[in-house]
Amino acid sequence: MEDMFIKPGNQERGWNDPPQFSYGLQKAHGPQRNLLNKRVAPPAASGSGAPPMTPPSSSPLAPPPMGAAPPPRCPAGPPPGCVATPPPPLGPMRSQGEAPSSQPESEPDVEAVLSVLDKALTACRQTVKEQVCNDVGKRLLLLRDSWSSGRLSLSVRRRMDNLSQELQVGHWDSADDIHRSLMVDHVTEVSQWMVGVKRLIAETRKLSPEHLEAFLKPAEPDQDPAEPDQDSAEPDQDPAEPHQDSAEPRQDSAEPRQDPEGLVQDSVSES
Amino acid sequence: MATYQEFIQQNEDRDGVRFSWNLWPSSRLEATRLVVPVSCLFTPLKERPDLPPVQYEPVLCSRANCKAVLNPLCQVDFRAKIWACNFCFQRNPFPPSYAGISEVNQPAELMPQFSTIEYIVQRGPPAPLIFLYVVDTCLEEEDLQALKESLQMSLSLLPPNALVGLITFGRMVQVHELSCEGIAKSYVFRGTKDLTAKQIQEMLGLTKPGAAGQQGRPPAPQDAAASCKFLQPVHRVDMNLTDLLGELQRDPWPVPQGKRPLRSTGVALSVAVGLLEGTYPNTGARVMLFIGGPPTQGPGMVVGDELKTPIRSWHDIQKDNARHLKKATKYYEAMANRSATNGHSIDIYACALDQTGLLEMKCLSNLTGGHIVMGDSFNTSLFKQTFQRVFSKDYNGDFRMAFGGVLDVKTSRELKVCGAIGPCVSLNSKGPCVSENEMGIGGTSQWKVCSLNPSSTLGMYFEVVNQHNAPVPQGGRGVIQFVTQYQHSNTQKRIRVTTVARNWADAQSQIQHIESSFDQEAAAVLMARLGVFRAESEEGPDVLRWLDRQLIRLCQKFGQFNKDDPTSFRLSESLSLYPQFMFHLRRSPFLQVFNNSPDESSYYRHHFVRQDLTQSLIMIQPILYAYSFHGPPEPVLLDSSSILPDRILLMDTFFQLVIYHGETIAQWRKAGYQEMAEYENFKQLLQAPLDDAQEILQTRFPMPRYIDTEHGGSQARFLLSKVNPSQTHNNLYTWGQETGAPILTDDVSLQVFMDHLKKLAVSSSA
Repeated sequence: MEDMFIKPGNQERGWNDPPQFSYGLQKAHGPQRNLLNKRVAPPAASGSGAPPMTPPSSSPLAPPPMGAAPPPRCPAGPPPGCVATPPPPLGPMRSQGEAPSSQPESEPDVEAVLSVLDKALTACRQTVKEQVCNDVGKRLLLLRDSWSSGRLSLSVRRRMDNLSQELQVGHWDSADDIHRSLMVDHVTEVSQWMVGVKRLIAETRKLSPEHLEAFLKPAEPDQDPAEPDQDSAEPDQDPAEPHQDSAEPRQDSAEPRQDPEGLVQDSVSES
Repeated sequence: MATYQEFIQQNEDRDGVRFSWNLWPSSRLEATRLVVPVSCLFTPLKERPDLPPVQYEPVLCSRANCKAVLNPLCQVDFRAKIWACNFCFQRNPFPPSYAGISEVNQPAELMPQFSTIEYIVQRGPPAPLIFLYVVDTCLEEEDLQALKESLQMSLSLLPPNALVGLITFGRMVQVHELSCEGIAKSYVFRGTKDLTAKQIQEMLGLTKPGAAGQQGRPPAPQDAAASCKFLQPVHRVDMNLTDLLGELQRDPWPVPQGKRPLRSTGVALSVAVGLLEGTYPNTGARVMLFIGGPPTQGPGMVVGDELKTPIRSWHDIQKDNARHLKKATKYYEAMANRSATNGHSIDIYACALDQTGLLEMKCLSNLTGGHIVMGDSFNTSLFKQTFQRVFSKDYNGDFRMAFGGVLDVKTSRELKVCGAIGPCVSLNSKGPCVSENEMGIGGTSQWKVCSLNPSSTLGMYFEVVNQHNAPVPQGGRGVIQFVTQYQHSNTQKRIRVTTVARNWADAQSQIQHIESSFDQEAAAVLMARLGVFRAESEEGPDVLRWLDRQLIRLCQKFGQFNKDDPTSFRLSESLSLYPQFMFHLRRSPFLQVFNNSPDESSYYRHHFVRQDLTQSLIMIQPILYAYSFHGPPEPVLLDSSSILPDRILLMDTFFQLVIYHGETIAQWRKAGYQEMAEYENFKQLLQAPLDDAQEILQTRFPMPRYIDTEHGGSQARFLLSKVNPSQTHNNLYTWGQETGAPILTDDVSLQVFMDHLKKLAVSSSA
């Protein structure tokens, strides 16, 4: 599964940084199976005298076998290949590393995903404050932009596809969980617009049944609404999108935000 | 009967309690002769998936200064509907709702399996959880970006109805108004001026309008509404807050060459504490402070902004040459106490390569039950995952996080409570069961633990007060009751009651029984906590001498030997590991400051005095497992003789996980045998410790550092510095090299330590 992975820590910034576990792995983790918490008593503690752990080598006075590092025991005594001693019982073998996307299934379709989200937004518009809906809408545009300009990884696109499907059938918790997994595992890619999706899930689940029906029902015949703009899914010039340079993708927040220095001057701060 | 080991395990699983002694000496004199006090490690909120809470109020003893909770050890007269308190012997009628009880119809709290029980009670309106982020913006771009993302991510982990707030600081301190619409506004404070709580609340418009309306600002609205500007439910402001966080910039003030950025951590915290104090006193809240460097200006400053003046070291402190230490510490202590009074906890997430002032600020977390996390950068998996785990959930989908804990301890008459050591403050409740003799935070029978999680563990110390030669007390056993009131993360108010009893034993005739009831693991951790508690105020060597003295006395008391004959010395099985624990404790970073910065020492001690027994013991004596072709993975001695060429070792020190490949293994690995099909089992051998390490990594809080090294690797030092140096360059010739790895050290080995211990223990002059 692509949401079960371990990636190496950031050794450049962190001294001996531990590996990073994906949301799925962390969540799937039950109680620790084999607790490593056993200790052995040193013979000295209960026994007599002082001999340390191991008996001295037979002739204490002989020169120590210094530096006689055995040659790489490749030909003769390499680890016994699958014979004699059974290999030590293992912790469960886990799929290591970024699981290479095992199923090269169909590429998720941006239009299919967004049509579900847009429909949810439309359903919400009847009850939810306009300003919130517009804000969500803006973020859905951001999502579309990121997706169609190729800035989303396959894992994100797949999970968004799953998320939209769960949303469509009213599995709010599951959709919410996918949102959370995306925030934890791919925050850099998704943080700007995911909060809109999160809000959409929250608002949709609050909708009264009749409003919800409008969203859930037509979802079954599925694909139809996506048809017209089918081909705009692949190419990355999306006519709808105003901004093309990916450097400043958060530009469209309309609020005039004062810069910090400006704030210092006309703030309440006494004196 | 079961063995003591089973008994101990059972009690820990059921009640979250581990006593140093599981039979109690029946008189004060005998108790002091046992050296290790009657004491326990208590985990108030130990996870009990099998324990459903009951939905009613606990029944209390009617005596005003007792108020113990009805429990399975009480004597009950079912016919008269009366129960006798097992602490004060008061006879209490059952409340009317218990009219139907009988021998065959008992409430849960009378059943023996409910020695620990949890009540859900109705107390006031449910309070939301509050998270106030206090963010340093004097960070490198990469760090700030990573931190912003982590904070954005956290909004998805918080419950939707939790309240969040944001304060950012650099040279100035900004309190951000969180609204769902319109322009983002913030209130700015200077970082140099110390403000009182009242001033802060006035300036934020949290008090009466008349006082606050200044400089042409519209008068601030009233209380609750006003507070809402800064603390808002996540579900309402998540989109704006995400943008606000996304747009955070590095502190814009220029930092001249040779200077540190001006960082107003002290004022920022003061504003945070003042804000919560004014809006949500006595409601669970977490201040989460994120810092990338030391406070450099204003109250609470730890170091000046001149880079040529380095931050204080242990050396400076010993030479009394740390200019800001006392003043800063005092400042943060006052703030910590204020915060604790209000029930708010403070976390510190410090990510920087140099020190950030944890030594001065540690009390903020230590007194309020907050976390301290120390990392190199916010853009590391160590920080990111540790931060995620703050929001981890239990089997019910509730946060592993509780607030506003008040722990009340009641003892039967022959016992008094001397104190507690853990992430708590005293509530100064003087009752009949409070001892004059203080150990840890004493002089009270109630402590406040502002923030708790299922592993938070307190060391509780007791005193036997029964007089010598007095008969073994009535009933044959002593009883202790722990009553923990807290705010559950689902906002319910709950009370968990744990009632435990142990038999009294006559120490003269039954000393062997007492000896076999000794829990050496618990005792080691409890004594270590006392040592660490002392180390915070005393010089290191004094603490070591005290610990040594205790160990020698314990060995004199329980060792079997002929006078003046060290070779005759023996310890029974129940004490066999104890000297070893003490040996490793003496070498640990909790008592040795060598090679650690003051911040690191503070960090290590912070975690040591709050973890449960298993984790604490790992900190004292790291775990070492060996993986080889000779059999399944096995625990081996933490000793240089365990370092063998054909082994892989996995060492867990709590703060570090080290995987060490012995010489031969490393050579095989280099030669690539693991990639050949016929050496599949070598591949598996290499994998086994990795899998076990992963198991640990997935649960440990905070994330440990992870070191993959091999024979001769520079990082092998992490292993070499922890193992007992039984073979050194000094005695190399005696033992030969085949048997392990010599350590280049002049440190005393366990063998030498034991020899000295035996000599002293058997000496007739000692």
